[in-house]
Amino acid sequence: MYIHSSSFDLQGERKSMYKQSENSFFKRGEKTSPISVILVTSGSRGNKLLFRYPFQRVADCTSSLTTKQRSPYALNTTGDVLEDPDGDSREQTPLTDQQLVAGFSDIILATILATKSDMCGKKFELKIDNVRFVGHPTLLQHPHTIQVSKTDPSPKREMPTMILFSVVFALRANADPSVISCMHNLSRRIAIALQHEERRCQYLTREAKLMLAVQDEVTNMTETDGSPQSPFRQILPKCKLARDLKEAYDSLCTTGVVRLHINNWLEVSFCLPHKIHRVGGNHVPPEALERSLKAIRPYHALLLLDSEKALLAQLPLDCSPALVRLIKTCSAVKNLQQLAQDADLNLLQIFQIAAHLVYWGKAIIVYPLCENNVYMLSPHANISLYSPLAEAFGQQFPGHDLPSMLAKFSLPLSLSEFRNPLDASVQEAQLIQMVVWMLQRRLLIQLHTYVCLLVPPSEEEPGLLRDEELPLVARVGGRSLSTPSALSFGSPTSSDDMTLTSPSMDNSSAELLPGGDSPLNRRMTETLLASLTEHERQVILNIPAAQSPEDLRMFARLLHYFRGHHHLEEIMYNENMRRSQLKTLFDKFRSVLVVTNHEDPVISLFQSPLE
Amino acid sequence: MKKVPEEYISRELFDTVQVYIITKPELQNKLITVTAMGKKLIGCPVCIEHKKYSRNALLFNLGLVCDARTKTCALEPIVKKLSGYLTTLELESGFISNEESKQKLLPIMSTLLEELNATGACTLPIDESNTINLKLIEQRRDPLIVQEYDVPVFTQCKDHFIKSQWDLTTQQILAYIDGFRHIQKISAEADVELNLVRIAVQNLLYYGVVTLVSIFQYSNVYCTTPTVQSLIDDRSIQEECLNYVTKKGQKRACLRDVFQLYCGLTPGTTVRDLCSRYSQQLQRVDERRLIQYGLMKALIRRLQKYPVKVTRDERSRPPRLYTGCHSYDEICCKTGMSYKELDERLENDPNIIVCWK
Repeated sequence: MYIHSSSFDLQGERKSMYKQSENSFFKRGEKTSPISVILVTSGSRGNKLLFRYPFQRVADCTSSLTTKQRSPYALNTTGDVLEDPDGDSREQTPLTDQQLVAGFSDIILATILATKSDMCGKKFELKIDNVRFVGHPTLLQHPHTIQVSKTDPSPKREMPTMILFSVVFALRANADPSVISCMHNLSRRIAIALQHEERRCQYLTREAKLMLAVQDEVTNMTETDGSPQSPFRQILPKCKLARDLKEAYDSLCTTGVVRLHINNWLEVSFCLPHKIHRVGGNHVPPEALERSLKAIRPYHALLLLDSEKALLAQLPLDCSPALVRLIKTCSAVKNLQQLAQDADLNLLQIFQIAAHLVYWGKAIIVYPLCENNVYMLSPHANISLYSPLAEAFGQQFPGHDLPSMLAKFSLPLSLSEFRNPLDASVQEAQLIQMVVWMLQRRLLIQLHTYVCLLVPPSEEEPGLLRDEELPLVARVGGRSLSTPSALSFGSPTSSDDMTLTSPSMDNSSAELLPGGDSPLNRRMTETLLASLTEHERQVILNIPAAQSPEDLRMFARLLHYFRGHHHLEEIMYNENMRRSQLKTLFDKFRSVLVVTNHEDPVISLFQSPLE
Repeated sequence: MKKVPEEYISRELFDTVQVYIITKPELQNKLITVTAMGKKLIGCPVCIEHKKYSRNALLFNLGLVCDARTKTCALEPIVKKLSGYLTTLELESGFISNEESKQKLLPIMSTLLEELNATGACTLPIDESNTINLKLIEQRRDPLIVQEYDVPVFTQCKDHFIKSQWDLTTQQILAYIDGFRHIQKISAEADVELNLVRIAVQNLLYYGVVTLVSIFQYSNVYCTTPTVQSLIDDRSIQEECLNYVTKKGQKRACLRDVFQLYCGLTPGTTVRDLCSRYSQQLQRVDERRLIQYGLMKALIRRLQKYPVKVTRDERSRPPRLYTGCHSYDEICCKTGMSYKELDERLENDPNIIVCWK
């Protein structure tokens, strides 16, 4: 929050004093972008750098041609070390990203990036001063021409054989480990596609030949003309693979979404969550994203971040029909269980597709919109008068301004309260649209009610909860219907977890039992209350409302929810109860319950950045 | 090549990574970390050119080998420093090229390995006049920018720190850091320039000695966060909290009262309102320390007021402070107005709306 407010520069000296911190703030954005993409191979012609992007400027080219000369950006020559008695490396003026990698000549890159074959098939990571290289060196099978030439005596033109290749991304050394592993993932995906095309039609060999031919040509021209040029600039128009690599690099630096068609045939798609999931200036780490996705429940809803039409237009032609059906049926008022029924898919599929859409930044998880939802302004919302959001809102909803709307949510406001505006000129439907618009842009958070059982302490007891009281849920055998537990990306699960139709039949069977004070009911209540301490039991039984056996039974049944981790709507869903029933119960037992409102930590990830 | 311990690097591993250890000239004096076969090698190749050496140059590299999963950032300065030291030693006394002194390398390497692993620091006596001292420095995250309206509060008892170890500025302001004075006030009372105070506090923030909370006023509004449940779940937080918020000289407050107080903080409720509604619970609780602890542990968060001028008049000047980017705290600090004054001024202006977040 404090970093946001420094965007309006009021005092000049403040800016200069904190330039370092602000620079590092901007650098954080660049930490998720690669500095360069490099393609190297190793084969019968030795180690070669086939292509790199961005390529060096002409001036730098000349200096790297002569191998004897040190790279102009080498830090600490021997002379420097002598001067500094401690041996500490002197702080050089920070180099730009391009200079960092441009300092490495083609030849040295070929040597260090084209590894030995025993490093193939695994993640390759090399750090040199401030640059980190990551790739996935891949072994190619020997092309059949070699075997043929052994048996076939007729002279064949010597085809240079490629043994291995590697698509390497150069990053800043202090890039986040999750970014590094994402880049490695992309490198691996491209490698798989290239390996496949190589085996099928020697695609890589052909492209390599073209690239080397251009490089040779340019070297010859340089020697005769004396005017240095970058061979890579000439390669681009001639080689599809070079253009693909350039496109991958450009996409990673901008949108974070990469879609390539290797050899115009195989699709490689990839997204960098760090660029896509940015809330309030920080990125959401993929692991946190995955953890949240595993905790979503059937009563949550999927809110698309684009319009249905725009989203469908982005899908590839051969995408899954289930995905299309889901997008068409999805709505902010429908929970995932209803969505499963409407789209005629099973719940696991819905969860998987929903997780996929969320991962790609196309949707977020919310609680389905309804009258009783209470919303409040998010602490990370940008409420500036001049923000692009304010402008977009004004265009979408002419005659209304965003700050005024947001001000209404300064205090928690339920949807029903919001829909009874003093200003009757606004249509009801449009108000709902506005709320959806604000939710999509993470301007609002939803508050839920959480309840905790805390009995007034007796005189002798200490004011703390004793150890045996803490694992309440386990002992009562709390039934919280969990999301299909094996929701990992792409792995199948057993069908048992899948069929979550209506909430637990067991607990609602209490409704079917004969009402009143039957011995069975009394025993059940006693069992449930047995998990409490003697003192707690006494206090609860002394409450006037406890004299009613039904109320007491309901209270005992819901006891395991009163640890502050289950909100009202979840209890309603699990126990098939109405909001009014629950609220009345809370009121009756208010002397032992403490109630508070805050956002749902499970989905608050989608609304606020992590600390 | 010398290895300590002998068996840790296999022949195959060395063959694979050889090109990164004894390198081409272009890579000399660069810190190189390579990961292969489950191991990570960190080294800094050095080349000294001189006629006296066979092949006219001496190439060497003292590296550290770790498990591939280790975070090795802290080791890098050590490797760099060592390479510098060895270079100096070689240039001054031919330490590495001399057959006799070369034998000392193995025991030095053993000591290095043992002591770094044990304590994170080591002292290597080389000969009568030279000793190398090395220490692993923990890498920390960049601290936030400290604003004039932030309030620093010690995360541990102030007396734990040996004051003489800190710089003069910090020593001068230490007494004024009480968890209630904000930066501007500290600067005024300690008679230290504002930006110096900010930098000193930022430094303390970096080392985790202090954390920042907001100014306390009885008109402040707070609300709970999901973390408030940790007061119920976590025994150690309970203990710490109850000890912290209990009024001096009173019997320790009970959990229920404290939890009720935190849950009583809601949007629209000021601290003053809380005090009147929950006076019974506050008998043994100091409300200022309650709020302070809640903010430090993120059990509660402050709701700040942000004025926004939604003017319709094209001719008037664009707002400078009433843009939705500056809270009341910030505006009052910068302009010297009190909250009440600012409130009165803004309430009379029909073009200004206020957002709380």
